[in-house]
Amino acid sequence: MNGIYLHIPFCERKCNYCAFSSFCNLSEKDRYIKHLIDEIDEFDSKKLQKNENFIKKSENLYKIDTIYIGGGTPSLLDGNDVEKLLQAVKNKFELQKESEITIECNPNSLTEEKVVGYKKLGINRISLGIQSLQDDQLKFIGRLHDSSQALSSIELACRYFDNVSCDFLIGLPSQECDKFIQDLEKIISMGVKHISTYMLQVEEGTPLEKIVKNKPFILPDDDECVEIYQKTTEFLQKNNFFQYEISNFAKNGYESRHNLKYWNGENYIGFGLSAHSYIDGIRYANASDFDRYYKKRQQFKEVLTKEQLIEEHIMLGLRSKIGIDRNYLEKLGYFIEKNENFDEFIEKKIIFIKDKRFYLNPKYYGVSNYIIVKLLQNG
Amino acid sequence: MERIKKIRNFCIVAHIDHGKSTLADRLIEKTGTLAKRDMQDQLLDSMELEREKGITIKLTPTRMLYDFEGERYELNLIDTPGHVDFTYEVSRSLAACEGAILIVDASQGVEAQTLANAYLAIDNNLEILPVINKIDLPSARPEEVKKEIEDVVGIPAEHAPCISAKDGINIDQVLEMIVKEFPSPKGDENGKLKCLIFDSYYDNFKGAICLIRVFDGKVKVGDKIKMMHTGKVFDVTEVGVFVPFSKPCEQLLAGDVGYLAGSIKNLSDIEVGDTITNFSDPIDEALPGYKKVQPVVFCGIFTVDGAKYGELKDALEKLKLNDASLEFQPEVSQALGYGFRCGFLGLLHLEIITERLEREFNLDIITTAPSVFYKVHKTNGEVIELSNPSSLPAPTEIAFIEEPVVKAGIFAPPQYVGSIMELCQEKRGIYKDLTYLDENRVRVHYILPLGEIIYDFFDSLKSRTKGYASLDYEMAGYERSDLVKVDILLNGEKCDALSIIVHKDKAYARGRALTEKLKKIIPRQLFEVPIQAAIGSKVIARETVSAMRKDVLAKCYGGDITRKRKLLEKQKEGKKRMRKIGSVEIPSEAFMSILKLDDDN
Repeated sequence: MNGIYLHIPFCERKCNYCAFSSFCNLSEKDRYIKHLIDEIDEFDSKKLQKNENFIKKSENLYKIDTIYIGGGTPSLLDGNDVEKLLQAVKNKFELQKESEITIECNPNSLTEEKVVGYKKLGINRISLGIQSLQDDQLKFIGRLHDSSQALSSIELACRYFDNVSCDFLIGLPSQECDKFIQDLEKIISMGVKHISTYMLQVEEGTPLEKIVKNKPFILPDDDECVEIYQKTTEFLQKNNFFQYEISNFAKNGYESRHNLKYWNGENYIGFGLSAHSYIDGIRYANASDFDRYYKKRQQFKEVLTKEQLIEEHIMLGLRSKIGIDRNYLEKLGYFIEKNENFDEFIEKKIIFIKDKRFYLNPKYYGVSNYIIVKLLQNG
Repeated sequence: MERIKKIRNFCIVAHIDHGKSTLADRLIEKTGTLAKRDMQDQLLDSMELEREKGITIKLTPTRMLYDFEGERYELNLIDTPGHVDFTYEVSRSLAACEGAILIVDASQGVEAQTLANAYLAIDNNLEILPVINKIDLPSARPEEVKKEIEDVVGIPAEHAPCISAKDGINIDQVLEMIVKEFPSPKGDENGKLKCLIFDSYYDNFKGAICLIRVFDGKVKVGDKIKMMHTGKVFDVTEVGVFVPFSKPCEQLLAGDVGYLAGSIKNLSDIEVGDTITNFSDPIDEALPGYKKVQPVVFCGIFTVDGAKYGELKDALEKLKLNDASLEFQPEVSQALGYGFRCGFLGLLHLEIITERLEREFNLDIITTAPSVFYKVHKTNGEVIELSNPSSLPAPTEIAFIEEPVVKAGIFAPPQYVGSIMELCQEKRGIYKDLTYLDENRVRVHYILPLGEIIYDFFDSLKSRTKGYASLDYEMAGYERSDLVKVDILLNGEKCDALSIIVHKDKAYARGRALTEKLKKIIPRQLFEVPIQAAIGSKVIARETVSAMRKDVLAKCYGGDITRKRKLLEKQKEGKKRMRKIGSVEIPSEAFMSILKLDDDN
């Protein structure tokens, strides 16, 4: 089944580590929403190109069962805008029963009125950008909320929603493993069902890059990060949060169905500034500045070659509980068992086999890139 | 005026960076040999790499016409390389001249290679014209430098032209003095043919080309000629001059500088320094000064992708066409597979060749640490010569080992003498003498093992003297030395390509430095990798690369897979430069890193 992604590229303030597409000029909002709705209205599956390398059965693109409103800060939108957007999607697509509809929210812009409004519109999952519950760390990365706002937003979200997710960052200054786990314990007790833990990346061109250049030791080193990551993983699993992807943990039945599509090679259609789509073996990306987006929308299209399809299947499958389908790879002409490193990985229990699928031992999630590269065709 | 009286054959010599190539460019420009628009900066340094490194390796003679006092003179400029690796080539080029312009930087003054080159010119009985360059710089001190030339080099410099080759100041004065000061060649164009080969190159259409100076007689197309040292005989198919590009002419006569082609297939058939004579009417005695060129520095060259062995072989053969001094023979390494043991005139030569292999032939190569040629006297009386540490016999079979030494001359301001002597002692040098050239300059002589010179000597010298010291050296035979082989074990397996031969007293320090360095270079792997240095079975140093625990856990945000894939591409690129030794992956630069061990840190 297909998923829809809607990008809301506005923030009150840009966090210093953020390299994603987001802007602070809220005055652009109304015009942008209009174009976004136009883009949804204009979608026509018949106009899409075919990829002859794509060997899976193509589906009816209009059937969707997930919508993800991401950003930026979608919670800056008021209920009316969200309603218009969802209506546009529903007009064009057949939204299935029991669909997952997520909205990303920031603690400081979330109000009870908005939460109630979202619920009325059929949104059933809230993803909160908490990042940390330590005030000094929140300040360091330039978040607008403090820990008490974070906690009250979680409380608020959980009061109205069953499916609440929180994002956390690993690798913040003076982060302590024990404290971090205590913080997770606290939010679990509040009823959160899904937790994402991403490692802080120092991206090119961000203010964080400059800070780190001047103070090279301000961030914890790799070993400390891995320590926190592994302890976190253990802790979450003990508390029945199942690790279904490198950075994602959920209670049974609360995995993000939308995110799973990314990793499972399912179709998703992205609308909005710099939104990405993947449709039957072709990747698309929209322009990442307003002018170009308004004029032309699409920035690039990439028809995946067989090699790329193979690479992506291995790369995305091994990162998650989805694993690799050897038969699918074989149909694409790749016999993974013949890879020079394969036997060694099996022998060392880095990779395990279950029902003709290969999975990465979660112990090695942290070094998945290394292993993925070695399992690739020309590796 | 007689033809030969209007010829001037000269070269330009200088310490590196004193402006040799720039002056050559100006002379060519001033004489109208090339229109300004055709000038490429430092035209004579035609190879891209040479231009980049600012050094001349290949000699390219140029004929310029210059009108002076109603006569048209023919000035033949023979450019020379300015690096100690190529001293023999320089000496042969000088032998083709009557005069030498000695350029000295107006701020830096006389440097080690100024003196070495000046002495080479004096040895070849050349008239020397000192020229003070870079007078445009605010730090220029021409009068002092003139005095320095007189005191240190021992030639008059009172009338030395003060020029700026860069800004074209006083170039005419240089041209005038070339005509006035340098003698015209002597020689009998009706005598028997006597030519010096001072360089050679390979042309894809004409074959190997000799660059020659005719001393006596004449040579023209159709002549049968003989190389006196190699005994090879060829029919001349073309003679010509460079203006500055090759231009055929009818014949070359006594006094002329030019080129000669003779369907010579291999560059190795031509030896620089050899004498050409007429086959049917030969002279009895060859010109003096001929030496067989011997490589002094060796290393193994392998391809990162073992399957590209054939391509490496082709590339080396092609380079050899234009560089007879490059030597190579097949070598097998347990760690690196099939490759070649290559011999070079020096480290710069090595660096140039490896860079050309990468750039011009697009090969990803691995070079092992440079080594010198050792003479190993075995207990059974046999003497073997080797440059590859891994072929050293077991210690019990060795009676003693001899290593090559050089006579090194170092120039520096007196305040650095202490640190220079310290460095030379550390490098096992034997002090010879110390001369105060004037109050600002000292010359120190040491006998040093060549093996130490190629380990970072020049860099250490520069850093300990804030860049003020300059170095020149010449080979000075073999000396007995207490040497041992240090092996490197990765994850318990010996990696033959990392073995080195060092002096016993330094084995521990170097073993430790090596393991520390490798620890930094070898990336973390899925499992812990112990790195050991050992003499025989005795481990002398150990480091451990701990297991890798994390690579990038980037967020696949909003389904942007491309970002993630780019990351993967980067990682794949990195992997390409890796070589698997047993179960350990090593980046290809690790093999060269042995060279860059800084003993100070």
